[in-house]
Amino acid sequence: MNIAAIDSSATFGTSWLHRTAPRAKLAAFVFVLAAVIATWNVLILAAIGLVLTAAVVSARVRAGLAASLALYPTIFAAVFAFTAAPDLITGVTIILKATVAALAAVTLVLTTPYPQVFAPLQHVLPTVVGDALLMTYRSLFLLIDKFGNLLTAVRLRSGFSARQPLRNAKAATRALGGLLLYSIDLAQRDHDVMRLRGYEGRLRVTTPRSEAPARDAALVVAAAGVTGLSVLVRVYAAALNPFSWMAPLAALAILVVVLLASRRSR
Amino acid sequence: MSHIHIPDGVLPLWLWLAGWVVALAMIAVTSRMAIAEDVRRKVPLLGVVSALMLVAMSSEIIPIAYHINLTVLGAVLLGPVLAPIAAFIVVTILALLGHGGVTVIGLNTLVISAEMLIGLALFRALADVLGRKRASISAGLATVVTLALSTLLLVGIVWLGGGGDAAGRETGALDPADLRFENPFAAGVFSLGLFTADEHGEEPGDEEPGGEGAGQGGLSVGRFAAVVFTLGPLGWLLEALIIATIVGFVARVRPALVFAGALADERRYIPGDETGTS
Amino acid sequence: MTREPHDAHDDARAQSRPDEVVHVSCVRHSYEDGTEVNLCGLDFIALRGQRVAVLGPNGSGKTTLLYHILGLLHSREGMVRVFGIDPAREWKAIRERVGVVLQNVEEQLLAPTVFDDVAFSPRQYGLPNEQVEARVSATLDLLGIAQLRDRVPHNLSGGEKRKVAMAGALVMRPELLVLDEPFEGLDPTSRETMLELMRDIAAGGTTVVMSTHDIDSVPLLADYAYVLAPGGRIAFTGTPAEVFGEADLLAAGNIKPPVLAELFARLTERAGDGPAPALSVDDAVEALVRWRGGGGSRCEPPQPP
Repeated sequence: MNIAAIDSSATFGTSWLHRTAPRAKLAAFVFVLAAVIATWNVLILAAIGLVLTAAVVSARVRAGLAASLALYPTIFAAVFAFTAAPDLITGVTIILKATVAALAAVTLVLTTPYPQVFAPLQHVLPTVVGDALLMTYRSLFLLIDKFGNLLTAVRLRSGFSARQPLRNAKAATRALGGLLLYSIDLAQRDHDVMRLRGYEGRLRVTTPRSEAPARDAALVVAAAGVTGLSVLVRVYAAALNPFSWMAPLAALAILVVVLLASRRSR
Repeated sequence: MSHIHIPDGVLPLWLWLAGWVVALAMIAVTSRMAIAEDVRRKVPLLGVVSALMLVAMSSEIIPIAYHINLTVLGAVLLGPVLAPIAAFIVVTILALLGHGGVTVIGLNTLVISAEMLIGLALFRALADVLGRKRASISAGLATVVTLALSTLLLVGIVWLGGGGDAAGRETGALDPADLRFENPFAAGVFSLGLFTADEHGEEPGDEEPGGEGAGQGGLSVGRFAAVVFTLGPLGWLLEALIIATIVGFVARVRPALVFAGALADERRYIPGDETGTS
Repeated sequence: MTREPHDAHDDARAQSRPDEVVHVSCVRHSYEDGTEVNLCGLDFIALRGQRVAVLGPNGSGKTTLLYHILGLLHSREGMVRVFGIDPAREWKAIRERVGVVLQNVEEQLLAPTVFDDVAFSPRQYGLPNEQVEARVSATLDLLGIAQLRDRVPHNLSGGEKRKVAMAGALVMRPELLVLDEPFEGLDPTSRETMLELMRDIAAGGTTVVMSTHDIDSVPLLADYAYVLAPGGRIAFTGTPAEVFGEADLLAAGNIKPPVLAELFARLTERAGDGPAPALSVDDAVEALVRWRGGGGSRCEPPQPP
């Protein structure tokens, strides 16, 4: 969970996906998620995964980062599938569902700065929760820096050694204790600053104006199309399942085109 | 080990929707209670403690898949009103990072909130019984018991969901026998979930509900529970040790934080200015 | 040991002057861990349009003094008045007139983007959107950080963060600006810009109160300086020239005078009638040229031992 890398990818990226309106991306994310939830067809899931991969490639975010984030839940899904799924195909479906849903979320956060992801949420959540959500993300960076410093300090004073995992754990725990005290004091200082700067309950986020409304609309329509397809295949499974191999093939074609295009532009 | 690592789309619609409804209702109530006074102190505290829990979850103290949660500690610092809000924030941010499903945010919030509230109540009760000097023992014990209970809750949720088999069978997974997909919408989207619930509702204590498929579902939950309860205790113990160490340390340095919560501790430390006397 | 060259002090305790912005009188503060800061001695007074520097060694209570002025600490004893009001009790009445930049700037940036952070106070005070927009843009331009507008604050460098925090403090056009170590983390060029900015701000009638370790810029940025002794006692005050003329007092307070002050003091020590002391490079060149022209050549090269 490399927050700093995620954040810099979202902030400094310049691809079409980065420049698409955050609201459009959130809507598209919801549609894709709905498609993943609706389907129990492995081929459809694979198709959605391939399209998302194409999106990630075209957004030129670090592939390794996206993969590591999207594959993290795969491990847990595998445990769940192993223990709860009755047969192989269901197990694979569960694992794919987890991975593809995570990939959708990762595509969103890797291309959208967090304030823009949270801004729409803030409108529907109670004020305290919305503000605390923004403060959490902000504090996260301060705490990660501080924790890194504390761990480095422990390491420099030779608190870590490969042969003594127990001592390492102890040292890390002590660093965590220090971090806790620091964070409580940080909350106090935040409180001071909020008082000085006149906080009256509501952190506001400005949403930048959409750069290309047509592109935003196209993305949402495409995502809605994916949902439609997924639901359609499920409802008319008997008729459509024999043709569901076409979906991943089409998705693969899209991915290949995107890969070629990105290679050429590089 | 406590938050649900159940991916999106495995649990039936009614279950995760119900999770959302209950969780949002809880958040609405607690946030209304929270803004009654001194919001300016609570918002930064919520942010900082939630961030602390996230940092702990993201750092593997011993490089295995185990990660600690600091849920009990977070509850001790935040108190019962703010704890559910912090749970929701942590779960939401994790979900956006692909760490636990977006649809199960509601259920996750409930599990983590339960964990925080039970942990807090247990810690307070144990600290009363064992005395303040044994704060670390109280914290460790509270953590182990809490994590065992929240794991039970997790298994309960999977059981309610009908296990992997029920989900697979009734929601249109590929039938390996004749390579055909069943149409799961035949009975309508919602009745599907309710049907699953009814099936379990009729025979709640029964290990083997009628029907071959449902029987497999019951077995799956059993297997899931077995694995979780075998792998779990190691994680609980680790977490308990860590929480005990931290609480012991904080109880020595700033006891008010542990025994009364961070809101009660109004001390002020100005970095670089604390050596006022000379 | 107590010098009172500033006429404001003569009647300070009796009654406050109309152009008095800050007045702190003999405040004591004890922290919960037992340490105590005792800001007694002279009264701390800042007048309208003055730039006042607070000097003192580590742990002398500079920040404690500023926190009392900002009403973040309640004084058990003594008096704090800002615009004639006790800031610890009635901060709301004066908060729109006070801009603040504290020491840890990254902790001070609350909002998720630079624009939102600078717009924080005006929005909380209910200014209409167009006015917020206009003020924020003007302030960002003033500080030369318009290009950072949509950035996320924690991705900025230390100096940039400081400028954003400064913009957030200036956006309400405060009458009093309180700065805790304003030059930390700034490169020399940014420091120059900041100095110039502070000169302009003070010329516009804003009072600036700052604590600093950057002794060399005190003559350039302050009209007036207060020196805290270890433990918090306000030992003496004066213009920078007056303060840095008191080598003994500075040494007692663990403060190293600016290089130029030391240079001129040494010259006077060695040559008897040294050049007229100067605290800026321009003044120093001027003084040295005049001194050499007027018989400064008597100064003999140092003898090898």
